[in-house]
Amino acid sequence: MHTVKTFLLPDLGEGLTDAELLTWMVEIGDTVALNQIIAEVETAKASVELPSPYAGTVVALHAREGTTVNVGSRFIDISVESPDKIDSSPPTPDLPHTADRTPVLVGYGVAEESTSRRRRKVGTGTVTAPLVDRQKEFPGRPLASPPVRFVAKEYGIDLAQVNATGIHGDVTRDDLERHRNTASAERPTPNSRESISQAPSASISAAREEERIPIKGVRKHTAAAMVRSAFTAPHVTEFVTVDITPTLELLARLRETKHFSDVRLTPLALVAKALLVALRTNPSLNSHWDEDANEIVVKRFVNLGIAAATPRGLMVPNIKNAHTLALRDLALALSDLTTTAKEGKTGPLDLSEGTITITNIGVFGVDSGTPILNPGEAAILCFGSIRRQPWEHQGEIALRSVTTLSLSFDHRLVDGEQGSTFLSAIAHILSDPLSLIALS
Amino acid sequence: MFDNDELVQLVTETGQRLNHPEFSGYIDDIGIDAVRALYEDLVVVRRIDSEATALQRQGELGLWAPLLGQEAAQVGSARALHSEDFVFASYREHGVAYCRNVDPTHMLRFWRGSTHSGWNPYEYRMTTPAIIVGAQALHATGYAMGMQFDGTDGATITYFGDGATSQGDISEAFGFAASFNAPVVFFCQNNQWAISEPVSVQSRVSIATRGRGFGVPSVRVDGNDVLAVIAVTRAALARAREGSGPTLIEAVTYRMGPHTTSDDPTRYRSAALDEEWRLKDPLDRIRALLESADAIDDSYLAAVQQKADDTAAALRRGCLETVEPKPMSLFDNVYAESHSLIDDERRQFAEYLDSFEGTDA
Amino acid sequence: MSTDQSTTTPTILPLGKALNAGLRRALENDPKVVLMGEDIGKLGGVFRITDGLQKDFGPIRVIDTPLAESGIIGTAVGLAMRGYRPVCEIQFDGFIYPGFDQIVSQVAKLHYRTSGNVKMPITIRVPYGGGIGAIEHHSESPEGYFAATAGLRVVTCSNASDAHSMIQQAIASDDPVLFFEPKRRYWEKGPIASDAASTPLHKARVLTRGSDATLLAYGPLVMTALQSAKVAADEGRSIEVIDLRSISPLDIDTVAESVRRTGRLIIAHEAPVFLGIGAEIAARINERCFYHLEAPVARVGGFTIPYPPAKLEEYFLPDVDRILDAVDRTFTA
Repeated sequence: MHTVKTFLLPDLGEGLTDAELLTWMVEIGDTVALNQIIAEVETAKASVELPSPYAGTVVALHAREGTTVNVGSRFIDISVESPDKIDSSPPTPDLPHTADRTPVLVGYGVAEESTSRRRRKVGTGTVTAPLVDRQKEFPGRPLASPPVRFVAKEYGIDLAQVNATGIHGDVTRDDLERHRNTASAERPTPNSRESISQAPSASISAAREEERIPIKGVRKHTAAAMVRSAFTAPHVTEFVTVDITPTLELLARLRETKHFSDVRLTPLALVAKALLVALRTNPSLNSHWDEDANEIVVKRFVNLGIAAATPRGLMVPNIKNAHTLALRDLALALSDLTTTAKEGKTGPLDLSEGTITITNIGVFGVDSGTPILNPGEAAILCFGSIRRQPWEHQGEIALRSVTTLSLSFDHRLVDGEQGSTFLSAIAHILSDPLSLIALS
Repeated sequence: MFDNDELVQLVTETGQRLNHPEFSGYIDDIGIDAVRALYEDLVVVRRIDSEATALQRQGELGLWAPLLGQEAAQVGSARALHSEDFVFASYREHGVAYCRNVDPTHMLRFWRGSTHSGWNPYEYRMTTPAIIVGAQALHATGYAMGMQFDGTDGATITYFGDGATSQGDISEAFGFAASFNAPVVFFCQNNQWAISEPVSVQSRVSIATRGRGFGVPSVRVDGNDVLAVIAVTRAALARAREGSGPTLIEAVTYRMGPHTTSDDPTRYRSAALDEEWRLKDPLDRIRALLESADAIDDSYLAAVQQKADDTAAALRRGCLETVEPKPMSLFDNVYAESHSLIDDERRQFAEYLDSFEGTDA
Repeated sequence: MSTDQSTTTPTILPLGKALNAGLRRALENDPKVVLMGEDIGKLGGVFRITDGLQKDFGPIRVIDTPLAESGIIGTAVGLAMRGYRPVCEIQFDGFIYPGFDQIVSQVAKLHYRTSGNVKMPITIRVPYGGGIGAIEHHSESPEGYFAATAGLRVVTCSNASDAHSMIQQAIASDDPVLFFEPKRRYWEKGPIASDAASTPLHKARVLTRGSDATLLAYGPLVMTALQSAKVAADEGRSIEVIDLRSISPLDIDTVAESVRRTGRLIIAHEAPVFLGIGAEIAARINERCFYHLEAPVARVGGFTIPYPPAKLEEYFLPDVDRILDAVDRTFTA
């Protein structure tokens, strides 16, 4: 009975990964004795003779002289005449990563890194040996993780008052949230418009007729900002209605040119440009009231905010240093800003350090409004819808593209004359866009 | 006897018997039959060494430290010992292990990486291969002091190489042994090489001189002359047993093979030097001695060969049939008594292993 | 003289003499116990810890060795293999390093290496720590190196009673024990409790109960910790003091139980804070008591500098002020 045994090239010197086969000392068909030298190989350390691990007949040689052989690869096949009781591969223990190791018996060399996780048994928890002791008795003190303690401190909540539901008997984040919600829910709602028609005992039916949305996230922030702004800065709003037809004509022409061929050029871009140019001679509209320092900060750079509706709510991302941008770059920046906002990817950096804002309500078909300032800014320009309207044009009545611009400003920083001058400057540019050449 | 560097020799390279005024007396009892037995020892030890080397080349061992050329130094000294003596070895004393009756099936598991210790030292009264160079000399000295406290006439012998004599622990061992008059034999196999460094790097004087410097009587012997080695070792052991304290034996021999199977001697020594020492081969001279005494015949040689083959087969079988350690055995025997950190880690690791599919921890 | 044990006043001894008495008991109880070290015989040791022992037990049981730490430990290994129970003295903490290899490569590993066939019942006594105005290399705290070596046990006494019982328990252990003795406390007197041996060698001990914070110390700083707690009490703060006693194995359960009650842990040791024993304890308590902690675990210890000259020592060593400063910081974290 014959068994063919394959001898795999072993690691010959503590970590070697291959060897060069110098010479075969046997040929296929030769009878070999145990330990008879079958080949000479050269490793990084030395030239080494390989003795045969089996007695038998050579049936295959797996490498050519002069080539490099990897440790663990097939080297020679020897047909062993009687079934050899001693397997040259003693059973390796059922170790993890056995399949990942080069199948060499000792002098393992470096085992390969595993590239995946071993499968856990069904029913095992996701982890063994929990880090934190599970306690059955709890001290008189409340338990909580460091972040929860921090949040509680910030909100001035006494952890001892909070109902703890954590598996360690600890107060969790959710426990804190719940505690805060219940605390505020217990206060009466200040403006329930239905209070006259609805008796308190109708609260069961009321539950079906109203929806309660927790105040949090972006809406909460926006609301807070609005309140801050509305009740700190004295707002004044001025309006101007402009024949914007020349601007639209110019935009149409520009869109045909190569320079703007890959750019989405909208009226908003030109409104923004007009605003930026007008700011140069009206810097008070780009300033900030620093109550703490008791100073007015006039900013020499313009980070132009554009009010945007995002999936998370109203946000005002701004274009940094918009005053340095040529029309094309401005249009590109507007485009990017809008896309990013629509995708909900507006980041904190985008939202900070704005100096002036434009809000475009025209896209909703609304003419004008009394916008509230973005907190910390001096002015906000509201750009309304563009309508075809009968208008005075060169002494005649003609259908012209007309729009209303609404400018709110902080009367502490901007007086009436400054505000008006600024607004009419914008209007002038929009009614005669070529005047930009003179103003630039 | 132990105050000069004369190289003690009782058999020449060509197998002629010599007489030595002081040491011949120690082998008066060794007749031709005993020499035949010694020759068999030398052949078997050489065979153990070549079989283990082959096993390494076949991927069954990670490493092997060959003793080729040093057979006589090891067999001679080991055959001088009494059974109650204790051997503190380094990592090359496979010949000594054979003579102490260490089962060949136990000899290779250390080199295979399956265990740190292939046998119970107390069973054969010999330590298992030790890697930290020179440390064992202090252990041997302490053990010998213990024997002395017990009032027995046992002795210890400790083996180390020429390189080891540079280690502080060897000097400290000489010092302690001399101070306490400990019954320890320091057996230095000066095989001329510490990996690639010749002995001249280790010492500017003979190694025997260094022993004498500490007040330890020292002798130089031809390490390839098995009879001379037996003689000086018996003399040293006799000194120990009678309470005369330690002795240093510098056995001058040659490491015919590489430091280990990972070493390449062609990088640092010449074939000419190797050839010079091949002419001093320890087996050849005893064979020549036996031939000139007409004490050798085919049946004897066949029997010797058979013994060598059988031993080699046992060695190979023991190696290949090694029961590899299980993962949980990682935590066994760190301490003699239970230790809470080990207990915790063992428990956690068992849980961890158990959480995977298809394991048998 | 009353024979009623319960009315006998416990003996009061300085820590050093308590060690001496404990060593004497060990020598009496087990003929295999041998002491070995430099100057321990005729001189009785530079701190007189082995005073009178060679006279009573002879030069074979109490051995003056050559000046060679590796030699002392290495021959102890041989003696242990021969069935003896060696108790080695390293004269000063800073001199242990020549013996480091024998300790970590041999003593620590022989039991494991030989699958339990060879035991190493060796005790290595080391006077350690500063506060004695010494010159260089005589004030080290090297316990970390040994606690980090698997196979060794590391313990340290803080008072006379523990010194007396722990040295005997260490010697009786079949495992190697590094026994660190707080040299600046050698002269501190304390009662030797008659039931001291009932406290296991590796158990930590709560010395005073408190509710506001747990203060953990070992060796020479236990006294300082107790003093700190007294001062804190006057300031209205209730501190629980624990004497760790055993570094390997670590009785983390006792510490965790205390921290669960107090919510704050301050660890003090002379060894540098960086990678000191406190770091391991802090990590474990962080895991075990995560939800119970009111503040991060604080550590007080030496700076990451070699031990300074005697004139600067007081600035290096944790004292009542440094410890209480750390306690304060756990309240304002």
